[in-house]
Amino acid sequence: MVRSSSLNGDSSASHRRTPSRTVTLGHIQPQAPSCRTVYCNDRDSNMPVRFKGNSISTTKYNVFTFLPKGLFEQFRRIANIYFLGISCLSLTPISPVSPITNVAPLSMVLLVSLIKEAFEDWKRFQNDMSINNSTVEILQGQQWVPIPWRKLQVGDIVKIKQDAFFPADILFLSSTNPDGICYVETANLDGETNLKIRKALERTWDYLVPEKASEFKGEIQCEQPNNSLYTFTGNLVVQKQTLPLSPDQLLLRGCSLRNTEYIVGAVVFTGHETKVMMNAMNAPSKRSTLEKKLDKLIITIFCVLLTMCLIGAIGCSIVTDREDLYLGLQKSDWEYHNRLAIGFFTFFTLITLFSSIIPISLYVSIEMIKFIQSTQFINRDLNMYHAETNTPALARTSNLNEELGQVEYIFSDKTGTLTRNLMEFFKCSIGGISYGCGVTEIERGIAQRNGLKVHEEERSTGAIREKGFNFDDPRLMRGAWRNEPDPDLCKELFRCLAICHTVLPEGDESPEKIVYQAASPDEAALVTAAKNFGFFFYRRTPTTVYVRESHVEKMGKIQDVAYEILNVLEFNSTRKRQSVVCRYPDGRLVLYCKGADNVIFERLADGMDDVRKVTREHLEHFGSSGLRTLCLAYRDLDPETYNSWNEKFIQAKSALRDREKKLDEVAELIEKDLTLIGSTAIEDKLQEGVPNCIETLSRAGIKIWVLTGDKMETAINIAYACNLINNDMKQFIISSETDAIREAEERGDQVEIARVIKEEVKKELRKSLEEAQLYMHTVAGPKLALVIDGKCLMYALDPSLRVTLLSLSLNCTSVVCCRVSPLQKAQVTSLVRKGAKKITLSIGDGANDVSMIQAAHVGIGISGMEGMQAVMASDFAIAQFRFLTDLLLVHGRWSYLRICKVVMYFFYKNLTFTLTQFWFTFRTGFSGQRFYDDWFQSLYNVFFTALPVIVLGLFEKDVSASLSKRYPELYREGIRNSFFKWRVVAVWATSAVYQSLVCYLFVTTSSFGAINSSGKIFGLWDVSTLVFTCLVIAVNVRILLMSNSITRWHYITVGGSILAWLVFAFVYCGITTSRDRNENVYFVIYVLMSTFYFYFTLLLIPAVSLLGDFIYQWVERWFYPYDYQIVQEIHRHESDASKADHLEIENELTPQEARSYAISQLPRELSKHTGFAFDSPGYESFFASQLGVYAPQKAWDVARRASMRSRPKVPKK
Amino acid sequence: MSSNMASSSAGSGDSSAARKNSKRPKYSKFTQQELPACKPILTPGWVISTFLIVSVIFIPLGVISLFASQDVVEIVDRYDNDCIPAPARTNKVAFIQGAAPKSCNRTLTVTKRMKQPIYVYYQLENFYQNHRRYVKSRSDSQLRSPKFENQISACKPEDDAGGKPIVPCGLIAWSLFNDTYTLSRNNTPLAVNKKGIAWKSDKEHKFGNKVFPKNFQKGNLTGGATLNPDIPLSEQEDLIVWMRTAALPTFRKLYGKIETDLENGDTIQVTLQNNYNTYSFSGKKKLVLSTTSWLGGKNDFLGIAYLTVGGICFFLALAFTIMYLVKPRRLGDPSYLSWNRNPGGGR
Repeated sequence: MVRSSSLNGDSSASHRRTPSRTVTLGHIQPQAPSCRTVYCNDRDSNMPVRFKGNSISTTKYNVFTFLPKGLFEQFRRIANIYFLGISCLSLTPISPVSPITNVAPLSMVLLVSLIKEAFEDWKRFQNDMSINNSTVEILQGQQWVPIPWRKLQVGDIVKIKQDAFFPADILFLSSTNPDGICYVETANLDGETNLKIRKALERTWDYLVPEKASEFKGEIQCEQPNNSLYTFTGNLVVQKQTLPLSPDQLLLRGCSLRNTEYIVGAVVFTGHETKVMMNAMNAPSKRSTLEKKLDKLIITIFCVLLTMCLIGAIGCSIVTDREDLYLGLQKSDWEYHNRLAIGFFTFFTLITLFSSIIPISLYVSIEMIKFIQSTQFINRDLNMYHAETNTPALARTSNLNEELGQVEYIFSDKTGTLTRNLMEFFKCSIGGISYGCGVTEIERGIAQRNGLKVHEEERSTGAIREKGFNFDDPRLMRGAWRNEPDPDLCKELFRCLAICHTVLPEGDESPEKIVYQAASPDEAALVTAAKNFGFFFYRRTPTTVYVRESHVEKMGKIQDVAYEILNVLEFNSTRKRQSVVCRYPDGRLVLYCKGADNVIFERLADGMDDVRKVTREHLEHFGSSGLRTLCLAYRDLDPETYNSWNEKFIQAKSALRDREKKLDEVAELIEKDLTLIGSTAIEDKLQEGVPNCIETLSRAGIKIWVLTGDKMETAINIAYACNLINNDMKQFIISSETDAIREAEERGDQVEIARVIKEEVKKELRKSLEEAQLYMHTVAGPKLALVIDGKCLMYALDPSLRVTLLSLSLNCTSVVCCRVSPLQKAQVTSLVRKGAKKITLSIGDGANDVSMIQAAHVGIGISGMEGMQAVMASDFAIAQFRFLTDLLLVHGRWSYLRICKVVMYFFYKNLTFTLTQFWFTFRTGFSGQRFYDDWFQSLYNVFFTALPVIVLGLFEKDVSASLSKRYPELYREGIRNSFFKWRVVAVWATSAVYQSLVCYLFVTTSSFGAINSSGKIFGLWDVSTLVFTCLVIAVNVRILLMSNSITRWHYITVGGSILAWLVFAFVYCGITTSRDRNENVYFVIYVLMSTFYFYFTLLLIPAVSLLGDFIYQWVERWFYPYDYQIVQEIHRHESDASKADHLEIENELTPQEARSYAISQLPRELSKHTGFAFDSPGYESFFASQLGVYAPQKAWDVARRASMRSRPKVPKK
Repeated sequence: MSSNMASSSAGSGDSSAARKNSKRPKYSKFTQQELPACKPILTPGWVISTFLIVSVIFIPLGVISLFASQDVVEIVDRYDNDCIPAPARTNKVAFIQGAAPKSCNRTLTVTKRMKQPIYVYYQLENFYQNHRRYVKSRSDSQLRSPKFENQISACKPEDDAGGKPIVPCGLIAWSLFNDTYTLSRNNTPLAVNKKGIAWKSDKEHKFGNKVFPKNFQKGNLTGGATLNPDIPLSEQEDLIVWMRTAALPTFRKLYGKIETDLENGDTIQVTLQNNYNTYSFSGKKKLVLSTTSWLGGKNDFLGIAYLTVGGICFFLALAFTIMYLVKPRRLGDPSYLSWNRNPGGGR
């Protein structure tokens, strides 16, 4: 182990040296310089090491940290700090207002916010508890004892039953299945629902029953906890025998056991040290961008406040005169001292006086609005309810509603998010004839966009529809293929499908009940297709494949045929094909081959050009319909050829060095002179409505990147299917599958590989960028797309290349990253988020998306599936990708609009209010005398103007939901942040200045003389109360003026607020208290109301102050209309209820547009893309090894390799 | 991954249970954001009619209030300067603080018939009755009831005299205006009624009828007027008027009323005692005689404002109508949409 540890130490040191470490995009766990030794089934021996427990905690606070940390979080808001300061100031004698005016609202604000935080954390805590308290059986003595997960310790022997989740990272010891295998579902980790196979070491197969398991005393030496999901190195020492361990023996927390009664394992990593938890980045508490901008606005307001105070202070120090006898100035008063002191103290006096310029209730109101928006509107939107999975949308935080209205980049996972990960046999082409009459979703989408009606084709009666099979063509079904032009070729196709694969059948051997265990859903779909065509593959032994064939010799006859499998030429990414050599019962030797079109076409026998050409056309058609295609071919072998080849094959198989390469070479010898049968087309079922959703989103100005762990071909296919990439686009493909890189890899020197790849990537990036910029400068250049794979991405993310990568990718309309690790997904997201300062959204469904979801501004999890990891990390959870349209274009856009209006309104109303106070200061000798009564001032924000703005924040709609979706372009106003710009702030500020001047000047000027027929005069409080009344009316009515949609709640709250003020005034002016205070406003309102003058001003002043805004709004709408205003006008006669979505959008093309449209309609060179796909992620060799072919396991993991120069070799004793 | 997930999926096997467990949100107009709403769009019609309505309402109101203001006759006489004998004008403060007689005669001419009641005001300028120090220097509870006689904490520095509370305490009361006016017309004395010059609410509720002045103007500093300690505060209307502090540094206070009509051409002789020291802070003093209308005193501002706003609205309505006729913009013209204006801008 010494050597291993030194290697690890070296790797961590070199890791630190890697420049990528200096800029922290992601979160790479440093490798501890030692290894971990776990004594199985021996808690005492493990004691000294103090491994972490298995309980997890995702809460932000605990009982002790809640108050300090929670308060700290609250005081991260500048406004709260400010109010704390003001409250302290108002306790001092220099304050013109009583302290309660400032302390009470602040405490209210803090209390409400803390309660909300506590509630949210409590929910997280409960969730943790339910996980920590799920039970697992562990071995104690000689029996299984159930204990809660949290009590599980490293080294424990546990028993996991079928369908249960693994509570920790577990070393797989034994299983009830023969051969020590078990099936795990990793949907939680990577979103893939197909089962993975894990295999225990043969040495430990027996430790299954408690009696035997208790005898197990092993010692596991393994790497320290790390976040690499796909690697694991270590040794198991059992009875002085050292056995190497591989990821094959590790069962990860978060996965679940399938198709296995139970397994027994030893716990290796627990709790936060499990791989899945290590992969989760610390959940950052997200704040919306708008809120951060709001901080800037508040700072600006604060500066305005300081300026106002400074003006006042200077004024005061100039004006204050000891000769003002009536002020009774004495030497002990600060007003008596030098001008500097006067100015100094007045400054603070004025700060407390003008404190209301910063809206204290703003944050609380916004939180309340957002809370209702998320719990009532988003969570309960019927448009986002998915009936099939019974899942409504879920807003897990209410902080980010308005962020949804400004998203510019979407990072999407593929499997489970864009696709259902459900492969269905859809079409095929046999001997130049295309079969299958379905219409794919993507075709439907294209047709709809071109304005054509799609006729839902009648499914022929008796068409079979099952999982993996969605094919409908009476020409082939139920033996009808016998009447086709080339029935023999059909037969070959079906046999090829039934024989050439590595699928394991499971369960009852009847067509209805059989379950195919395949490494990839594609394979299962093909075998299922064969079954439905009457070639039912039902049993496999290592040497034989049994097929129940129908209608072969004559209609209706069913016979069982056993094909002897002589060789399996395995699929790998270089070969892009798979072949099987089989012997018919009658001795016929056939090689069946399926693979990528270009690979197969190269190897065809001469002289079948017609079929070849037609098939290629079919392939292109399939590909452009978003289907995944495979070419099928066969070759009849004569025994001599075969035997001589087989010898070479056996030789290669037993080669010790370069076995893989030699096997490939041997395969080349026989995979030639093939006869083309045809091709198959599989639909990777997209989630419902995905292409349309993507189309809508891209019209909304949102760029969508696909980040997937899948292979490049698959990823490109999906991108085609989703309409992210099309043949009109200029594609830049940066792949690690180039000759230069492969060559370097074969040489095997890690340092050299890294260097070569880096050079290649650099070269490619530079070249692509140059080209891209060339296109960007031309007017009608094509749209650009970038495809890059994980290995290249690792180097492209290096600081030296990052800028190039960023500028290239920002120029591209769509970007596809394939073969990326969870960490890289997060790194790419952070790259755009931090590098380009754009608002990003990540959407995914599996645990592999968690880091990406957390890295983005907004994280969205796909809920309703089995995996919950992504949802747990997300900010919003929706059941379907297509709900993004509603979430972003409707909820997000409205929230953004609403929050902007609310913020602006708050800003405006407080500014207006404070400015009247400011103007008054000029006429009081800058003494800081308050204009309004204490209670008026403190209740202005929380009572007289509080509710209408909340109603505005809840019900404001510029255009209806259906119009929002019909005009996705409206969303761009959010991306451009049109409603929260300094220009907008300036307009509101101007309005505030104007209104405050009107309110203040009109009243003070007109109320100078007698105001009623009995010649009486107003005092200060009469005037201020009158101004206040005008202000409350003007400010409240302003809400109606700025609303695009006025519900009765608007009327109720606006009327209610004005009424509340009057009622308050009646009551407050009517009472006296015995406290030693000034009853300044006693009876004032009654005095006011006894004069005609009062009513005259009450009509004049609000009208005049609102007239300015009215004119401005009108001029803006008429001469510089916003897009939404035009849309409003277009649809002004439609009522909301009539959801006439089918109306054609009135759209007149400008000459330039017409020209570009005409160009786009011109014929172009045919697509090269044919949609090859053969998906078998990583486990292909399992089946091969079952059949005696050994291929080294290639654990592929970029994050891991990034930290290593050389692979640590497992030392053997 | 939690166990409750597993249990919920197990529970959904039963179809009736599933229906019961349906998480389908219930429909309501509120949650679906489909509340009936009025959607005002500022169409030209609306805008023009709004302007017209405003002008139709405002112009008559303006005319009415202007007429009311025109009816009011107001005589203003500034006397602070003239009432200092010419030799003393170099040092007015010394004069006003000195012991010399401060009597002064002023003659006013009525230029227009003034119907009774005619109100007599004094107008002070540059007197910051709204200064922070000044406004708070009073004790309302003390004014209201003898019980609270000792609540004088706010009244500094005029809170007590020799340890005994001053009633009424504070700077406001202390600085009570003490010029007096004696009016006569054509050598016949004109009675000035000093009752009913304060707001009734002040008299009845704020100033107690059992509170009598105590220790008033007995402090170190000499302030304004003295009060008769035998008359309760509720009857001291000069004080009540004075203590309703003014909003601005230029203000009028009601002094009294003349309950006879004055004819055009009448001359009014005013004999005034120029006691009040506004000279140290160069404040002006004016005597005002004014009638009132139903809307109050002379107040052209309201009428002008109404007329102006009404006029502007009418003009705007006219201008927009003309503009709309000359250069109309079609409502809801899609070519105004930003993505139609600059194609490819969305890139």
